[in-house]
Amino acid sequence: MAGAPPKPWERAGAEGTSGPAPFKPPSGGSTSDVVEASGTAKPGETIAATTANVSNPVSRTMPQRPWQQQTGYGNSYGGAGYGSNMYSSLGGYGNTYGSGGMYGNSMYSSYGGGGGLYGGSGMYGGGMYNSGMGGSYGGYGMGGMGGMGGMGGMGGMGGMGPYGNPDPNSFGPPAAPPGFWVSFLRVMHGAVSFFGRVAFLVEQNTQAFYLFITAMLQLFDRSGMLYGELARFVLRLLGVRTKSKKGRVQGPEAPAFEGPGQQFLEAPKGNNSWDSVWGN
Amino acid sequence: MPAFKAPAPGFSVRFSPFHENRLLAATSQHFGLVGNGHLLVLDLSAAGPGGPGLAPLFSFPTSDALFDCAWSESHDSLCAAASGDGSVRLFDVTLPPEQNPVRLLREHAREVHGIDWNPVRRDAFLSASWDDTLKLWSPDRPASVRTFRGHEYCVYAAAWSARHPDVFASASGDRTARVWDVREPAPTLVIPAHDHEVLSLDWDKYDPSILATGSVDKSIRVWDVRSPRAPLAQLAGHGYAVKRVKFSPHHQGMIMSCSYDMTVCMWDYRKEDALLARYGHHTEFVAGIDMSVLTDGLLASTGWDEMIYVWPFGSDPRAV
Repeated sequence: MAGAPPKPWERAGAEGTSGPAPFKPPSGGSTSDVVEASGTAKPGETIAATTANVSNPVSRTMPQRPWQQQTGYGNSYGGAGYGSNMYSSLGGYGNTYGSGGMYGNSMYSSYGGGGGLYGGSGMYGGGMYNSGMGGSYGGYGMGGMGGMGGMGGMGGMGGMGPYGNPDPNSFGPPAAPPGFWVSFLRVMHGAVSFFGRVAFLVEQNTQAFYLFITAMLQLFDRSGMLYGELARFVLRLLGVRTKSKKGRVQGPEAPAFEGPGQQFLEAPKGNNSWDSVWGN
Repeated sequence: MPAFKAPAPGFSVRFSPFHENRLLAATSQHFGLVGNGHLLVLDLSAAGPGGPGLAPLFSFPTSDALFDCAWSESHDSLCAAASGDGSVRLFDVTLPPEQNPVRLLREHAREVHGIDWNPVRRDAFLSASWDDTLKLWSPDRPASVRTFRGHEYCVYAAAWSARHPDVFASASGDRTARVWDVREPAPTLVIPAHDHEVLSLDWDKYDPSILATGSVDKSIRVWDVRSPRAPLAQLAGHGYAVKRVKFSPHHQGMIMSCSYDMTVCMWDYRKEDALLARYGHHTEFVAGIDMSVLTDGLLASTGWDEMIYVWPFGSDPRAV
């Protein structure tokens, strides 16, 4: 182990022209011994967070890692997006559509200006229970269109990392046309983001369809109840005393009109009957 | 001096610190994305004038891409290579390929992108990896001596101080350059060097406080570690990211750089008109450069056009 010939700067022997360097003087012995003597050998995780000696801590945000790179829409698949909220909110419709703002908001934020693909908050909440069917589907349609508009706007290319972005605002002469690999990678990037967008749209349409069908079923359910309720109310006004048999569903086929003069058997009122709501 | 056609895109070249005609080159198939790597040792004296038919003295195929290589400073036949599978391999060029690599050091979790041998104490080398760490190795040990944690993104390069045996610096994609002392648990200095990733750095061989960094933001900045708030100089002229920077071993203040704009540039950061020369001999990205320690002014470069050029400063690389 002879060692390489002396370096030119060692032969010169001169200390730097701008004075001594601000380092601790060198230690003697081999590098391995020096490291072990300092107690820093194999520090592992115990020392990973040490920043005490750092004189210029970095406060800027770090660029995304290559294996984490996504172009915006990717994030909306995450648990923080509609994924968790939407499904959980469908559990009970009492809560769901009243608080539609929940998934509306999360869609919006994760999509980065996409505008809440389904029209965002309150579309089922306000529409369904307050102003009825027309309002609710109006809101739905408009929201969807807004979302599509936002979609077209995105798709900015991610930074090309080591290949450098030809930034027109930078110094220097105008950038040369990109080489073959740069343009090839850009094309590949475009293709990947295109398929990503298509997948996103397919998923969103599935979601929309699901919500739509669920809302329709609930509408039918509720409208049937409303019909029965109204029928009973009108009958009550007409002086007809109706009494549903216990456990029987009041639906459109309920025997509401069987002649005003017809008498029904009086049954004791159930304590859970709706009849007691309006008094007598 | 010859031009040499490599079997694959070149990523790094290094002159031997022992033999002035020996050159080490790391190449990788398919631009380092997939495929094999080749570690080549070229004998420059065997080449006729302008002959591209130069055959390598040694050629070691590896199973993964090679991103960097370095000669040992303590033994003239030993060299280290940084591999894309996260391993560091030590080769002895006097042994046949079947007996190489003489050591396979597998500790990094991701690609190893930079490697540098300590030129002062000569018994240790560093590897810089995309798993955000640097590791210190000794060729006589089967495992790393130490791991340096602190960077928040891929570490692209490491460079030992040319004058202090315990000090080195690292360049990372977290946009910082950090100065380390192997006896300290954390970096002794963090320089927020650029607005983009820092790809390379090197120490001035004649002034132990001076450091140059090259970045994706197309610029080279020269720093004084005693006043790291602002760079001493900024060298603009490359049209794309600066892949490597290197201080001359013979002339204080002289810097060689290569870039994705397919040029190699020579600079003197202390001059008003800093750009000394620009070489456009490569037809693809230039990925590796070196300056000979033993021959003043002898330069080498390699790039993704699979060419390795060796030429004296001041002449045309393609003419010689």
